[in-house]
Amino acid sequence: MRDTVGTAAVGLALGFSLSRIGFSSWDEVHRMFTFESLRMLLAFCAGVVVMALGWYAVKKLSRTSPRWIPRDIHRGTVAGGLLFGAGWALSGACPSIALVQLGEGKLLALFTVAGIFAGNWLYSVVHERFFRWTTQSCIDD
Amino acid sequence: MHYWPWWLGGIALASVALGHWVALERQMAVSGRFTALVNRWRFGSAEPSESAARKVSQAALVEAMRAATAAEFGKLELDEAAGTPQPPVTISAAPLRKRQTSAVHAIFLTSLVAGGLLSALLAGNVHYSLSLESERFGALFGNEGWPGPAALALGGVLVGFGTRMAAGCTSGHGLCGVSRFQKGSLVATACFFAAGVAVSFALGALG
Repeated sequence: MRDTVGTAAVGLALGFSLSRIGFSSWDEVHRMFTFESLRMLLAFCAGVVVMALGWYAVKKLSRTSPRWIPRDIHRGTVAGGLLFGAGWALSGACPSIALVQLGEGKLLALFTVAGIFAGNWLYSVVHERFFRWTTQSCIDD
Repeated sequence: MHYWPWWLGGIALASVALGHWVALERQMAVSGRFTALVNRWRFGSAEPSESAARKVSQAALVEAMRAATAAEFGKLELDEAAGTPQPPVTISAAPLRKRQTSAVHAIFLTSLVAGGLLSALLAGNVHYSLSLESERFGALFGNEGWPGPAALALGGVLVGFGTRMAAGCTSGHGLCGVSRFQKGSLVATACFFAAGVAVSFALGALG
Protein backbone atom coordinates (compact mmCIF):
# COMPACT_ATOMS: atom_id res chain seq x y z
CA MET A 1 0.00 0.00 0.00
CA ARG A 2 2.77 2.38 0.95
CA ASP A 3 4.53 1.31 -2.22
CA THR A 4 1.53 2.07 -4.41
CA VAL A 5 0.58 5.40 -2.84
CA GLY A 6 4.20 6.54 -2.61
CA THR A 7 4.85 5.65 -6.24
CA ALA A 8 1.75 7.53 -7.41
CA ALA A 9 2.66 10.58 -5.32
CA VAL A 10 6.23 10.72 -6.61
CA GLY A 11 5.06 10.24 -10.21
CA LEU A 12 2.52 13.03 -9.85
CA ALA A 13 5.10 15.40 -8.37
CA LEU A 14 7.64 14.55 -11.07
CA GLY A 15 5.12 15.06 -13.88
CA PHE A 16 3.97 18.38 -12.42
CA SER A 17 7.53 19.65 -11.87
CA LEU A 18 8.76 18.68 -15.34
CA SER A 19 5.79 20.49 -16.84
CA ARG A 20 6.41 23.66 -14.80
CA ILE A 21 10.15 23.69 -15.53
CA GLY A 22 9.41 23.51 -19.24
CA PHE A 23 10.84 20.09 -20.13
CA SER A 24 7.55 19.09 -21.78
CA SER A 25 7.88 21.83 -24.40
CA TRP A 26 9.69 20.84 -27.60
CA ASP A 27 10.68 24.49 -28.10
CA GLU A 28 12.15 24.81 -24.61
CA VAL A 29 14.15 21.60 -25.03
CA HIS A 30 15.46 22.92 -28.34
CA ARG A 31 16.45 26.21 -26.67
CA MET A 32 18.24 24.23 -23.96
CA PHE A 33 20.25 22.11 -26.39
CA THR A 34 21.20 25.12 -28.53
CA PHE A 35 22.08 27.20 -25.42
CA GLU A 36 19.56 29.92 -26.34
CA SER A 37 18.12 29.52 -22.85
CA LEU A 38 20.15 28.30 -19.89
CA ARG A 39 17.17 28.08 -17.53
CA MET A 40 16.49 24.36 -17.80
CA LEU A 41 20.17 23.52 -17.95
CA LEU A 42 20.70 25.45 -14.73
CA ALA A 43 17.66 23.77 -13.17
CA PHE A 44 19.12 20.36 -13.99
CA CYS A 45 22.55 21.28 -12.61
CA ALA A 46 21.03 22.80 -9.48
CA GLY A 47 19.03 19.60 -9.05
CA VAL A 48 22.20 17.50 -9.22
CA VAL A 49 23.97 19.72 -6.67
CA VAL A 50 21.05 19.65 -4.23
CA MET A 51 20.81 15.89 -4.66
CA ALA A 52 24.51 15.38 -3.97
CA LEU A 53 23.99 17.23 -0.68
CA GLY A 54 20.84 15.19 -0.09
CA TRP A 55 22.65 11.85 -0.53
CA TYR A 56 25.26 13.05 1.93
CA ALA A 57 22.49 13.79 4.45
CA VAL A 58 20.83 10.43 3.78
CA LYS A 59 24.15 8.65 4.44
CA LYS A 60 24.65 10.57 7.68
CA LEU A 61 21.13 9.99 8.92
CA SER A 62 20.63 6.31 8.05
CA ARG A 63 21.97 3.74 10.51
CA THR A 64 22.77 1.15 7.87
CA SER A 65 24.58 2.19 4.71
CA PRO A 66 22.07 2.65 1.89
CA ARG A 67 22.05 -0.14 -0.70
CA TRP A 68 22.65 1.77 -3.92
CA ILE A 69 23.20 0.17 -7.26
CA PRO A 70 26.52 1.16 -8.79
CA ARG A 71 26.36 2.53 -12.30
CA ASP A 72 29.53 1.51 -14.04
CA ILE A 73 30.64 2.03 -17.62
CA HIS A 74 29.77 -0.91 -19.89
CA ARG A 75 29.85 -1.45 -23.62
CA GLY A 76 26.40 0.07 -24.13
CA THR A 77 27.01 3.27 -22.18
CA VAL A 78 28.43 5.50 -24.92
CA ALA A 79 26.41 4.22 -27.88
CA GLY A 80 23.20 4.08 -25.86
CA GLY A 81 23.74 7.59 -24.51
CA LEU A 82 24.36 8.99 -27.98
CA LEU A 83 21.25 7.32 -29.45
CA PHE A 84 19.12 8.52 -26.54
CA GLY A 85 20.40 12.09 -26.93
CA ALA A 86 19.63 12.10 -30.65
CA GLY A 87 16.13 10.79 -29.95
CA TRP A 88 15.56 13.35 -27.19
CA ALA A 89 16.50 16.25 -29.50
CA LEU A 90 14.29 14.89 -32.30
CA SER A 91 11.20 14.03 -30.26
CA GLY A 92 11.72 16.63 -27.55
CA ALA A 93 11.12 13.95 -24.96
CA CYS A 94 12.99 11.79 -22.53
CA PRO A 95 10.95 8.80 -21.29
CA SER A 96 8.95 10.62 -18.60
CA ILE A 97 8.39 13.73 -20.73
CA ALA A 98 6.38 11.98 -23.43
CA LEU A 99 3.85 10.96 -20.76
CA VAL A 100 3.74 14.45 -19.24
CA GLN A 101 3.03 15.86 -22.71
CA LEU A 102 0.09 13.50 -23.05
CA GLY A 103 -1.34 14.76 -19.77
CA GLU A 104 -1.00 18.35 -20.95
CA GLY A 105 -3.14 17.51 -23.96
CA LYS A 106 -0.35 17.23 -26.54
CA LEU A 107 -1.76 14.04 -27.95
CA LEU A 108 0.79 13.75 -30.77
CA ALA A 109 3.12 12.48 -28.04
CA LEU A 110 1.27 9.16 -28.34
CA PHE A 111 3.65 8.46 -31.21
CA THR A 112 6.63 9.17 -28.95
CA VAL A 113 5.31 6.89 -26.20
CA ALA A 114 4.68 4.10 -28.72
CA GLY A 115 8.18 4.64 -30.10
CA ILE A 116 9.77 4.41 -26.64
CA PHE A 117 8.08 1.09 -25.91
CA ALA A 118 9.00 -0.20 -29.38
CA GLY A 119 12.63 0.93 -29.03
CA ASN A 120 12.95 -0.60 -25.57
CA TRP A 121 11.54 -3.89 -26.90
CA LEU A 122 13.78 -3.72 -29.98
CA TYR A 123 16.91 -3.29 -27.88
CA SER A 124 16.04 -6.24 -25.67
CA VAL A 125 15.73 -8.43 -28.79
CA VAL A 126 18.90 -7.08 -30.41
CA HIS A 127 20.78 -7.45 -27.14
CA GLU A 128 19.88 -11.12 -26.80
CA ARG A 129 20.71 -11.93 -30.43
CA PHE A 130 23.94 -9.99 -30.85
CA PHE A 131 25.36 -8.25 -27.78
CA ARG A 132 24.80 -10.23 -24.62
CA TRP A 133 27.01 -8.03 -22.47
CA THR A 134 26.05 -7.04 -18.96
CA THR A 135 24.35 -3.67 -18.77
CA GLN A 136 23.11 -3.99 -15.19
CA SER A 137 19.49 -3.24 -14.69
CA CYS A 138 18.39 0.33 -14.95
CA ILE A 139 15.76 -0.20 -12.34
CA ASP A 140 16.88 -0.39 -8.75
CA ASP A 141 15.28 -3.60 -7.55
CA MET B 1 2.58 28.63 -19.23
CA HIS B 2 4.76 30.62 -16.87
CA TYR B 3 7.82 28.53 -16.15
CA TRP B 4 9.52 28.24 -12.79
CA PRO B 5 12.87 30.01 -12.29
CA TRP B 6 15.87 27.70 -12.55
CA TRP B 7 16.57 27.49 -8.81
CA LEU B 8 13.01 26.45 -8.03
CA GLY B 9 13.16 23.88 -10.81
CA GLY B 10 16.38 22.49 -9.38
CA ILE B 11 14.97 22.21 -5.88
CA ALA B 12 11.82 20.55 -7.25
CA LEU B 13 13.76 17.97 -9.28
CA ALA B 14 16.02 17.15 -6.34
CA SER B 15 13.08 16.92 -3.92
CA VAL B 16 11.22 14.53 -6.20
CA ALA B 17 14.23 12.30 -6.84
CA LEU B 18 15.27 12.26 -3.16
CA GLY B 19 11.61 11.77 -2.21
CA HIS B 20 11.56 8.72 -4.48
CA TRP B 21 14.39 7.27 -2.38
CA VAL B 22 12.89 8.22 0.97
CA ALA B 23 9.40 6.94 0.14
CA LEU B 24 10.29 3.84 -1.86
CA GLU B 25 13.93 3.07 -0.99
CA ARG B 26 14.71 2.98 -4.70
CA GLN B 27 16.61 5.25 -7.01
CA MET B 28 14.30 6.99 -9.41
CA ALA B 29 14.68 5.39 -12.84
CA VAL B 30 11.92 6.07 -15.34
CA SER B 31 13.32 4.16 -18.31
CA GLY B 32 13.78 1.18 -15.99
CA ARG B 33 10.03 1.14 -15.45
CA PHE B 34 9.52 1.01 -19.22
CA THR B 35 12.00 -1.86 -19.29
CA ALA B 36 10.17 -3.71 -16.51
CA LEU B 37 6.87 -3.41 -18.37
CA VAL B 38 8.39 -4.54 -21.67
CA ASN B 39 9.98 -7.52 -19.92
CA ARG B 40 6.66 -8.43 -18.36
CA TRP B 41 5.02 -8.28 -21.79
CA ARG B 42 7.79 -10.34 -23.42
CA PHE B 43 8.35 -12.95 -20.77
CA GLY B 44 4.98 -13.16 -19.05
CA SER B 45 4.42 -12.86 -15.35
CA ALA B 46 7.80 -12.96 -13.68
CA GLU B 47 6.21 -11.21 -10.75
CA PRO B 48 7.62 -11.11 -7.23
CA SER B 49 6.28 -14.52 -6.11
CA GLU B 50 9.58 -16.27 -6.60
CA SER B 51 9.78 -18.40 -3.49
CA ALA B 52 9.00 -21.65 -5.34
CA ALA B 53 11.63 -20.97 -7.97
CA ARG B 54 14.12 -20.18 -5.22
CA LYS B 55 13.65 -23.59 -3.56
CA VAL B 56 14.29 -25.40 -6.83
CA SER B 57 17.33 -23.33 -7.66
CA GLN B 58 18.80 -23.92 -4.20
CA ALA B 59 19.03 -27.69 -4.72
CA ALA B 60 20.31 -27.21 -8.25
CA LEU B 61 22.88 -24.72 -7.03
CA VAL B 62 24.25 -27.06 -4.36
CA GLU B 63 24.60 -29.82 -6.96
CA ALA B 64 26.28 -27.49 -9.44
CA MET B 65 28.75 -26.26 -6.81
CA ARG B 66 29.55 -29.85 -5.84
CA ALA B 67 30.25 -30.74 -9.48
CA ALA B 68 32.32 -27.59 -10.04
CA THR B 69 34.37 -28.29 -6.91
CA ALA B 70 35.06 -31.83 -8.09
CA ALA B 71 36.13 -30.53 -11.49
CA GLU B 72 38.47 -27.95 -9.96
CA PHE B 73 40.07 -29.90 -7.09
CA GLY B 74 39.36 -33.52 -7.97
CA LYS B 75 37.03 -36.04 -6.41
CA LEU B 76 39.44 -37.02 -3.64
CA GLU B 77 39.44 -33.70 -1.85
CA LEU B 78 35.71 -33.42 -2.20
CA ASP B 79 35.33 -36.79 -0.48
CA GLU B 80 37.73 -35.76 2.27
CA ALA B 81 35.75 -32.63 2.85
CA ALA B 82 32.58 -34.68 2.91
CA GLY B 83 34.08 -36.71 5.77
CA THR B 84 34.26 -33.72 8.08
CA PRO B 85 31.06 -32.44 9.63
CA GLN B 86 29.58 -29.68 7.51
CA PRO B 87 27.34 -26.85 8.63
CA PRO B 88 23.90 -27.06 7.05
CA VAL B 89 23.81 -25.41 3.64
CA THR B 90 21.82 -22.24 3.69
CA ILE B 91 21.78 -20.09 0.61
CA SER B 92 20.22 -16.70 0.96
CA ALA B 93 18.96 -15.80 -2.47
CA ALA B 94 16.23 -13.58 -1.11
CA PRO B 95 16.38 -10.04 -2.38
CA LEU B 96 16.67 -7.49 0.39
CA ARG B 97 13.60 -5.77 -0.91
CA LYS B 98 10.54 -6.82 -2.83
CA ARG B 99 10.48 -5.87 -6.47
CA GLN B 100 7.71 -3.59 -7.57
CA THR B 101 4.93 -5.20 -9.57
CA SER B 102 4.02 -4.28 -13.12
CA ALA B 103 0.87 -2.65 -11.79
CA VAL B 104 2.97 -0.28 -9.67
CA HIS B 105 5.22 0.53 -12.64
CA ALA B 106 2.09 1.30 -14.68
CA ILE B 107 0.78 3.48 -11.83
CA PHE B 108 4.00 5.51 -11.88
CA LEU B 109 3.79 6.10 -15.63
CA THR B 110 0.08 6.96 -15.37
CA SER B 111 0.74 9.41 -12.56
CA LEU B 112 3.25 11.21 -14.80
CA VAL B 113 0.36 11.79 -17.21
CA ALA B 114 -1.74 12.98 -14.27
CA GLY B 115 1.05 15.35 -13.22
CA GLY B 116 1.06 16.94 -16.67
CA LEU B 117 -2.73 17.22 -16.58
CA LEU B 118 -2.67 18.82 -13.12
CA SER B 119 -0.10 21.35 -14.28
CA ALA B 120 -2.22 22.27 -17.31
CA LEU B 121 -5.40 22.42 -15.19
CA LEU B 122 -3.89 24.78 -12.62
CA ALA B 123 -2.49 26.94 -15.41
CA GLY B 124 -5.99 27.02 -16.89
CA ASN B 125 -5.02 25.87 -20.36
CA VAL B 126 -6.27 22.35 -20.85
CA HIS B 127 -7.07 21.65 -24.45
CA TYR B 128 -6.50 18.46 -26.30
CA SER B 129 -5.05 18.59 -29.77
CA LEU B 130 -3.25 16.20 -32.06
CA SER B 131 -0.10 18.32 -31.98
CA LEU B 132 2.86 19.17 -29.74
CA GLU B 133 1.81 22.83 -29.53
CA SER B 134 5.31 23.72 -30.64
CA GLU B 135 6.20 26.50 -33.09
CA ARG B 136 9.59 25.12 -34.03
CA PHE B 137 8.50 21.51 -34.34
CA GLY B 138 5.60 22.67 -36.54
CA ALA B 139 7.93 24.76 -38.68
CA LEU B 140 10.28 21.81 -39.17
CA PHE B 141 7.83 18.98 -39.77
CA GLY B 142 4.54 20.72 -40.57
CA ASN B 143 1.34 20.60 -38.53
CA GLU B 144 -0.45 18.11 -40.73
CA GLY B 145 0.28 14.78 -42.35
CA TRP B 146 2.83 12.19 -41.40
CA PRO B 147 6.23 13.96 -41.12
CA GLY B 148 5.51 15.07 -37.54
CA PRO B 149 4.26 11.72 -36.21
CA ALA B 150 7.07 9.94 -38.08
CA ALA B 151 9.70 12.21 -36.48
CA LEU B 152 8.22 11.59 -33.02
CA ALA B 153 7.98 7.83 -33.55
CA LEU B 154 11.58 7.67 -34.80
CA GLY B 155 12.75 9.87 -31.92
CA GLY B 156 10.81 7.69 -29.50
CA VAL B 157 12.40 4.52 -30.84
CA LEU B 158 15.86 6.09 -30.44
CA VAL B 159 14.96 7.11 -26.87
CA GLY B 160 13.66 3.66 -25.97
CA PHE B 161 16.55 1.83 -27.65
CA GLY B 162 19.23 4.16 -26.32
CA THR B 163 18.01 4.33 -22.73
CA ARG B 164 17.80 0.55 -22.47
CA MET B 165 21.21 0.18 -24.10
CA ALA B 166 22.79 2.73 -21.74
CA ALA B 167 20.73 1.27 -18.87
CA GLY B 168 19.35 4.61 -17.81
CA CYS B 169 17.90 7.94 -18.84
CA THR B 170 17.74 11.48 -17.49
CA SER B 171 16.39 10.38 -14.13
CA GLY B 172 18.48 7.29 -13.41
CA HIS B 173 21.77 8.42 -14.96
CA GLY B 174 21.34 12.20 -15.22
CA LEU B 175 19.96 13.01 -11.80
CA CYS B 176 20.50 10.03 -9.50
CA GLY B 177 23.70 8.68 -11.06
CA VAL B 178 25.57 11.95 -11.60
CA SER B 179 24.74 13.20 -8.11
CA ARG B 180 26.32 9.99 -6.73
CA PHE B 181 29.37 10.51 -9.00
CA GLN B 182 28.86 7.17 -10.76
CA LYS B 183 31.28 6.74 -13.68
CA GLY B 184 28.75 5.12 -16.02
CA SER B 185 26.23 7.88 -15.35
CA LEU B 186 28.75 10.67 -15.94
CA VAL B 187 29.74 9.14 -19.30
CA ALA B 188 26.15 8.39 -20.36
CA THR B 189 24.97 11.89 -19.40
CA ALA B 190 27.85 13.54 -21.27
CA CYS B 191 27.00 11.39 -24.32
CA PHE B 192 23.27 12.01 -24.40
CA PHE B 193 23.74 15.70 -23.82
CA ALA B 194 26.39 15.98 -26.55
CA ALA B 195 24.18 14.11 -29.04
CA GLY B 196 21.22 16.30 -28.07
CA VAL B 197 23.23 19.44 -28.74
CA ALA B 198 24.52 18.13 -32.08
CA VAL B 199 21.10 17.03 -33.36
CA SER B 200 19.41 20.22 -32.12
CA PHE B 201 21.90 22.42 -33.97
CA ALA B 202 21.42 20.25 -37.08
CA LEU B 203 17.62 20.62 -36.82
CA GLY B 204 18.04 24.34 -36.25
CA ALA B 205 20.07 24.60 -39.45
CA LEU B 206 17.27 22.83 -41.34
CA GLY B 207 14.47 25.00 -39.97
